[in-house]
Amino acid sequence: MYKSVLLAADGSDNSYRAAEETLNFISKDTTVTILNVIQIEKSKDAVLHGGDMIHEQKDKLSGIIDLYESNNVRHNVIFERGIPDETVVKVSNSGDYDVIVLGNRGLNSLQGMMMGSVSHKVAKRAGIPVMIVK
Amino acid sequence: MIEKFKREWLTAPGTNIMAGIVVALALIPEAIAFSIIAGVDPMVGLYASFLIAVIISIVGGRPAMISAATGAVALLVVPLVREYGVEYLFAATILMGIIQIILGILKVGKLLKFIPNSVMIGFVNALAIMIFMAQLQHIFGISFDTYIYVAVTLIILYLLPKFFTKLPAPLIAIVVLTACYIFLGAEVRTVGDLGAIEKSLPSFIIPDVPFTLETLKIIFPFSLSMAIVGLVESLLTARIVDNATDTYSSKNKESRGQGIANFITGLFGGMGGCAMIGQSVINVKSGATTRLSTFTAGFVLMLMIIVLGDFVVQIPMPILAGIMIVVTISTFDWKTFRYMQKAPRTDAFVMLITVAIILVTNNLAVGVVAGVFFSAIFFATKISKVKVISELTETHYVFHFEGQVFFASIDTMIEQLDFKPYDKDILLDFSKAHLWDDSAVNAIDTMVRKFEDKGNTVYVDQLNADSRKIVKELSQLNEQHLT
Repeated sequence: MYKSVLLAADGSDNSYRAAEETLNFISKDTTVTILNVIQIEKSKDAVLHGGDMIHEQKDKLSGIIDLYESNNVRHNVIFERGIPDETVVKVSNSGDYDVIVLGNRGLNSLQGMMMGSVSHKVAKRAGIPVMIVK
Repeated sequence: MIEKFKREWLTAPGTNIMAGIVVALALIPEAIAFSIIAGVDPMVGLYASFLIAVIISIVGGRPAMISAATGAVALLVVPLVREYGVEYLFAATILMGIIQIILGILKVGKLLKFIPNSVMIGFVNALAIMIFMAQLQHIFGISFDTYIYVAVTLIILYLLPKFFTKLPAPLIAIVVLTACYIFLGAEVRTVGDLGAIEKSLPSFIIPDVPFTLETLKIIFPFSLSMAIVGLVESLLTARIVDNATDTYSSKNKESRGQGIANFITGLFGGMGGCAMIGQSVINVKSGATTRLSTFTAGFVLMLMIIVLGDFVVQIPMPILAGIMIVVTISTFDWKTFRYMQKAPRTDAFVMLITVAIILVTNNLAVGVVAGVFFSAIFFATKISKVKVISELTETHYVFHFEGQVFFASIDTMIEQLDFKPYDKDILLDFSKAHLWDDSAVNAIDTMVRKFEDKGNTVYVDQLNADSRKIVKELSQLNEQHLT
């Protein structure tokens, strides 16, 4: 069993399915770390429209957090600022995680259809096992 | 001190130099386009971008923020350049710098918090609309080839980043399409048609204007507008970079730094500038965290011009126009439409009036000042509503006051009172009110006297500590009133 699972989640339906999938291979001792990347471009919106970005992002992840809470999964949430694919790769290669799980396509569906999506880049560059959930 | 220097300059130098190079490449088309908006040679904007970026990297308050020649300032100086010429622009830029240094010393950075978000949204929207409009003359009614170049530029800018992000798409559009133009030729205007590019470093010059009161009268209004707009955009950008990097920066140091940068730039034949939201976001996205990134951006920009000046004059204008259209689309705040539905009516009104005034006057500074003025009035109106709830029984009259009692609210407060009772015990309950000034105290004195004239006994009750203090100092009420 994996001790430490990294779940890259943007709050999309795909990331929720990825969260559901983790339930199949974790034990009581496993900690799932939910990683959410806050994009640099969001900063302009945040400054102009006030609003607390961390709070907003947390709202998006509430479905996943509820899922883990109702299944008694040990979990924590981390927020990182940066470019999604690079940031996910950086965190997954930090040495703290045994496996990274993510959905095959996030909120940006157009980009996902074309190619070079986050999951593609993470699969290529992560140094730990990658599970892409379809 | 040395620790701070190391942290602000030498952290991750490789990443910061790379980010600076990316920004330098993205800055070139903008510097040229903003020069053309202002009506001056491209060199004026390129020198300005080089000088401002390098100087601000040393004296600015916000590491990793990019400052250079900007559209906001360029739009302001159009009439000055048209009527008096470029030398007056240099003089106005020097004075702009002096004004900003003074404002920085007066700690005006703190005043930014008095510019509400509604005005800031109006500012970026009007800026985007004006730069967009300025591009249309380079697109329509020139030639069929012009449309083709604009269209291909837009396609490259929107589609390429989906596949390839190593180099900025605008640079690729410029290189590929300018090469097409050089080899195939086309009926389009080029940068060279609109001004000369000199492959030399800027040199020190005293602007060639008469040093008279007359000159000062001409440039001062422009310099003041430039100084205000420069600080508004710079401090807004600083907040965005603070947010994006999750760090804090000194706004007063940034104001002074902007002043120093513009002052020196004017003396070296450059136009005024300020921080740039889009470029700063590109910089931070590219991993920049230190001053070295900003320094590199300016330095590499100048290097490229000296090496590639001959290439730059051949860039077709429609490519620049296409790039600027994409810049304006990302400058515009697209949450505006949702904001207009959700925000309080008065905020939406302030945002719209800010945009409208800027578009009518062609002056961003006037719009910001007017926007702040309107929101201050709305705020005063909103806050100057004091509610009075009367509770009347046979023997006891109680008036409950709710709200902020100050010079603007006392009229509405007294209007709600009924001064008919006589020979009664009257209790004025201020537990939910706050007295702010001597007008408030005077109003209470007046109320008490009016009631007492009819033989009532009046008690002023439940004043909070601050209110009680000014009543003690200013009022004619005695201890009996203040139970």
